[in-house]
Amino acid sequence: MEINNIRFSYQDKVERLKGVSTTIEKGKITTILGPNGSGKSTLLSVLSKLNQPTHGEIIFNGKSLVQYKAKELAKNLSIVQQTSVAPEDMTVEKLVYYGRLPYQQMFKMPSEQDEEKVNWALAKTGLTDKKDALLSSLSGGQQQRAWIALALAQETPYLFLDEPTANLDIFYQYEILALVKELCETDGLTIVMVLHDINQSMQYSDRLMVMKEGKLIAHGPSEEVITKELLQEVYGIQVMMKEDAGIGKYIVPVGPVHAK
Amino acid sequence: MLKKTISFIAICIALPFMILYAATTGSIEMSMLELVKGLFFESNDQVAVIKDLRFPRILVALLAGATLAVSGVLLQAVMKNPLAEPGIIGVSAGAGFFTMVMLSLFPTLFFYSPFFAILGGTLSFLLVYLFSWRSGLNPLRMILIGVAMNALFTGLGQVLSSSGNALLSSISIQTSTLSMKTWDDVETLAIYGGIGLVLAMLFYTYCNHLGMQDKTLRSLGFNVNRARLVISLIAVLLASVTTAIAGMFTFVGLLIPHIGRALVGTDHKYLIPFSALLGAFLILLADTIGRTILAPIEIPASIIVVIIGGPFLIFVLRRSERIYGN
Repeated sequence: MEINNIRFSYQDKVERLKGVSTTIEKGKITTILGPNGSGKSTLLSVLSKLNQPTHGEIIFNGKSLVQYKAKELAKNLSIVQQTSVAPEDMTVEKLVYYGRLPYQQMFKMPSEQDEEKVNWALAKTGLTDKKDALLSSLSGGQQQRAWIALALAQETPYLFLDEPTANLDIFYQYEILALVKELCETDGLTIVMVLHDINQSMQYSDRLMVMKEGKLIAHGPSEEVITKELLQEVYGIQVMMKEDAGIGKYIVPVGPVHAK
Repeated sequence: MLKKTISFIAICIALPFMILYAATTGSIEMSMLELVKGLFFESNDQVAVIKDLRFPRILVALLAGATLAVSGVLLQAVMKNPLAEPGIIGVSAGAGFFTMVMLSLFPTLFFYSPFFAILGGTLSFLLVYLFSWRSGLNPLRMILIGVAMNALFTGLGQVLSSSGNALLSSISIQTSTLSMKTWDDVETLAIYGGIGLVLAMLFYTYCNHLGMQDKTLRSLGFNVNRARLVISLIAVLLASVTTAIAGMFTFVGLLIPHIGRALVGTDHKYLIPFSALLGAFLILLADTIGRTILAPIEIPASIIVVIIGGPFLIFVLRRSERIYGN
């Protein structure tokens, strides 16, 4: 996926993305990092065509994103959005079947392939036992996995996740991240996600994109991108860079950088 | 699942009995057996009168109930709001007002009043939609604008009916009486209402999908706006035609879907047919009570609906833990 000089603003005309250019590498996990309001989620929404850029172009699989029909795109790119809500009496299985919507035709029953894919998605996210349970009766982590299962049922080579770990207990956060990693490594999915935690981002991503005020400040392999100076500039915090034989580089925040 | 089945069986038994009871009760009374005999086996003058006068009335009541209840279900799905109902958000009032205007201008076009009603209902709904759209649908704003639109069209309609025009007073769209309905009325309502009901059933999956958030549906390549438009138009068709033939009924489209959800759940595959049956039952019940309880004085069915419906809705809401849409 090629991103060429993307600009975007909502109706209020405030520019949220100020010329972002980069490349998303296939078969890798790319994480978008940055402080609140830096345009991370906005960038993800533009990349998934939920918002139209005011300038610039996105080339997806050799074709401009604007040329994709909605259904065609939904077969190539799925997105797990932040704070998704389903009706009260939605069961897990019914929810996951929504992932087959791009493949279904009006007035037709789900096909065998639909069923197969839904079962695969449920198994992948460890929700097979829970398929008849009400979504609202599940824990936050299970609900997030159900939404991921919906995206998986779409059978897309690209999976986008907008803050998949937000509002989850730390155990569920790592459970989701481990699942994402597995999806990339064993199923060959290309993942783009937005995360808040810098250490989690470094640990679970191949590549990082760091944003600030609608601009892409740095992008590249995870270990190279994160530096003391960058975090000072982007987040205004002082950190210590550490290295562990097992998980590689990590940071320990020390405190805010005080204004001189 | 059991509750669903029992509910369907109950209404399927209750409805034929209600029809038979309605047909045999009133100024001419006879036993159900006599009626069946008179209809199919021998000629009977009293049965002939019932056939000409009471049957059209019963059928109009049934069709009005079914169409208004389903219209309510559809509007609630489109607006994601439990308050949406053709009588509250101005669809019925718009349909009624527009019909009155057109008929006062072109009295000879009486035959086309269903078309005028559909036009008026659509216009009113589009206005509600346009005024409440602000980079997305806010259910609360939409209801408020609908209430305002309803007030406006109801008021304008009252101006027309109190203007002394004899024809308009006779149409009396404002309050509904089901008396003096003919087989022609039945035919019109059966054709348009029937089309609407069949379409509603064909597109029930759209209603189910609309329960999901727009952002989710859009990322699945689903054309949310087209679905909204299709369902809205069906709802407007149902409510408008009924308003043109049977007059204004508020509350049916609000009460019935709520009871329906409590009994058969939110899947529109079951909710739409069940609401149609229950709505038909309710208006026929109301009309039968209305014409027998203080006979020979008739109380309009729409008034009885509100009197039965109000307390019943409170009862249903007190019993259920959740309110649809929250």
